[in-house]
Amino acid sequence: MERARPRISRRSVLKSAGAVAGASVLPTRRLFAAGKKSIRVLTVADPFYYALAGVTDQFRQETGIDVAIESLAYDQLNARLVSSFVGGQPDADVISVDNIWLGQYLESKWIKPLNDLVKADKDVDIADFIPGVLYSISLWRGQLGSLPIAPYGMGVMYRKDYIDAAGVKIPDDGSWTWTEYLDTIKKLNGQKFGGASMIGTVVSGQQPAPIVHMFTQLAASMGARWFKHFPEAPWDFTPTIDSKENVDAIRLFAELYKASPPEAINYNWFDAGMRFAKGDIGAFYWWSAYFYLCRKDGYMSGKDSVVADKMGIVPIPHSDHPQVGSTGGWSLGIPSNSAATDEAWIFVKWATSAKAQKAMALYTKYGYQFSDFARRSLYKDPDLLKIYPYLPGQLVGLEAGNGKISRPGVPTYTTLESIYGLNLNKVLTGEMSPEDCAKQTAQLWTSVLKGNFMIPYQLKSYDDTLEAAKALIASLSA
Amino acid sequence: MSNNVIGRAPAFSLAPSRARRRRRLFPYLLIAPSVVLLVAVTIFPLFFALKSSFYFWNLQMGPKPLGFIGFGNYRMALTSAVFMASVVNTLVLTVSGTVLEVFFGLMIALLLCHALPGMSVARALLIMPTTIAPIVVGFLFRYMYDPTGGLIPWLLAKAGVPIPRTGLLGSGLTALPSILFADMWQWTPFCAIVLYAALLSVPPHVIEAARLDGASAWTILRRIRLPLIRKTLSFVVMLRFMQLFNTFDLVLVLTRGGPGSSTRTLGYTLYQQGLVDFNIGLASAMTWIIVIMVNALIGLYVVFVFRDWE
Repeated sequence: MERARPRISRRSVLKSAGAVAGASVLPTRRLFAAGKKSIRVLTVADPFYYALAGVTDQFRQETGIDVAIESLAYDQLNARLVSSFVGGQPDADVISVDNIWLGQYLESKWIKPLNDLVKADKDVDIADFIPGVLYSISLWRGQLGSLPIAPYGMGVMYRKDYIDAAGVKIPDDGSWTWTEYLDTIKKLNGQKFGGASMIGTVVSGQQPAPIVHMFTQLAASMGARWFKHFPEAPWDFTPTIDSKENVDAIRLFAELYKASPPEAINYNWFDAGMRFAKGDIGAFYWWSAYFYLCRKDGYMSGKDSVVADKMGIVPIPHSDHPQVGSTGGWSLGIPSNSAATDEAWIFVKWATSAKAQKAMALYTKYGYQFSDFARRSLYKDPDLLKIYPYLPGQLVGLEAGNGKISRPGVPTYTTLESIYGLNLNKVLTGEMSPEDCAKQTAQLWTSVLKGNFMIPYQLKSYDDTLEAAKALIASLSA
Repeated sequence: MSNNVIGRAPAFSLAPSRARRRRRLFPYLLIAPSVVLLVAVTIFPLFFALKSSFYFWNLQMGPKPLGFIGFGNYRMALTSAVFMASVVNTLVLTVSGTVLEVFFGLMIALLLCHALPGMSVARALLIMPTTIAPIVVGFLFRYMYDPTGGLIPWLLAKAGVPIPRTGLLGSGLTALPSILFADMWQWTPFCAIVLYAALLSVPPHVIEAARLDGASAWTILRRIRLPLIRKTLSFVVMLRFMQLFNTFDLVLVLTRGGPGSSTRTLGYTLYQQGLVDFNIGLASAMTWIIVIMVNALIGLYVVFVFRDWE
């Protein structure tokens, strides 16, 4: 007997699609009916995101609050957040905030100040945070806009076996100057090792942000300052970027580029880090996240790089000027337009707690890819020290860090960074001399700052010093 | 039925004119949703940008415009070295890209017209690059241009072509051509497919008659095929010109406008001003300068190329 073939009509397809759509909505409706709380978290796709997403189930179990985490690239995140704020359309309940966006977000009232929440909630243990980190990435005009989740300092990474073979000494305590660093790099450049021709260092030359991030560490350490009087009051944003200290720093950076792969002119943060991980670079300085990222052969690849067990890490060199480390990184804030601020605060508190941060550091899916702690207590944790032995040196960098000097997160920062990055890149291409770079940058900055009513500064200044930050932290923890 | 209608007509003298009016308005009613949509997604944003371009509005300084500054933003854009470099790069990229993509597209289309073995597979493969998002093409070429093992530097080295020390994307001389090459890889097949479809519409008997008259392949192309596909060719040129003028994704992924300003395009500069620096006033002024430039160029093109069209 011949069986009748089932007929697929347009109507039956539409019916099935409707049934599937209806069925998929049902559980959601049940969730809402049961009053289950949920929040949306929007972060940058930096390493901390993978670790945080990996341990979020613990938060769900502990609090009963559902969390949806989404990550975006750096520029896209800021563009999406600002669009959401300006358009008044709530997008997320918790967001990751870059230290240079903090002032803009707080002044525009786009994120909630957390001072009162912290003061009322002793669980936060604000005194455990490194003051320099809170000062650099979470505080603006005496307001705590966020809590740090992944602060970065700077350090020098080098390939130990090559350094030993080349007969070069690198001081473990950072007691070397930038001139000595350059001499070391020059010595390491062009030597044969393991059958390969080695390169002294690698720079991150891509404009605007990567080159500015790398160069400003060197410049701040060599005594260069962006403005005449900032962050101490009274604020005077007249650029001092054409100072002798800065010209010397640009010259030294150009020398470093000469001992770097030529294609590094186009390297972003990760390109530079991964070039070191390939094994043909002697030494370089970069953000502390690369202390663990360079142990792997790719981003979240989980596979060891050729330098995984050959990396030495020491503090950055200094100059005749008081040492200034560059501190940057990410913190979690709560948008003012969030409709779930209570749940958002519970999440921020949990994600930045010592317990959650340790869990993130022990998350193994990608092979231990998180050690950016803002809390002092974690730098003494024996479990973490076993996995991340460089933590004491990293702490030294963060304690000496001052993000408000190295890259002041003032309004118009990104415009200033665009100009600076382009001109620094032109120095590396040979289109511009270090002197012209400094001079032209200062002229363009002056024009931008005047055009944005920052020269002369017309608002009330704030005495934004580390001491003031420490006093504020003490008052919040009292 | 018709008798009834005719019979009722004198009693309702206004009805016919109302019906006529309704009939007259009905087409407008049908196109109204399209017009509303067009106004909402095109005209309104353009006029919003026009208004914003006369204000000092920098989101880094505050969420609202701080004051009317007349043509200040336009002056700032037109006196900016970076913006002017972007104009030059965009014109170089657009003109050379359009010429090369259409030329090679036509060559491929002519080849496809021949019944060579494997042509059906080639036709299917040709459409693939066009379906890939430009940002993915950017990442693909970033790896292919990698000086430490990328396919393209390796092939060039094997062929004895000198490569800059800084890599193809790291030199001001080769970075823009490298972006152009990636764009050509993606969009030349599109030109080829469209022109191939146009070539198929050329009546075979015309070609055959020309052949019988002893016309060479070159004469057939110049005197018969190209004139007969002129309309399609003109549209392809216009389409590629407009798309290349807005090149952004490839620049973002491959060079971020560098080294120096050598690969900054207007699309990238606009992105930098609007979505990184958040200078909405300046970005709006740049938008209008770009709109005027593109429309002026396309307008000239339309006047000269489409003038004798029916």
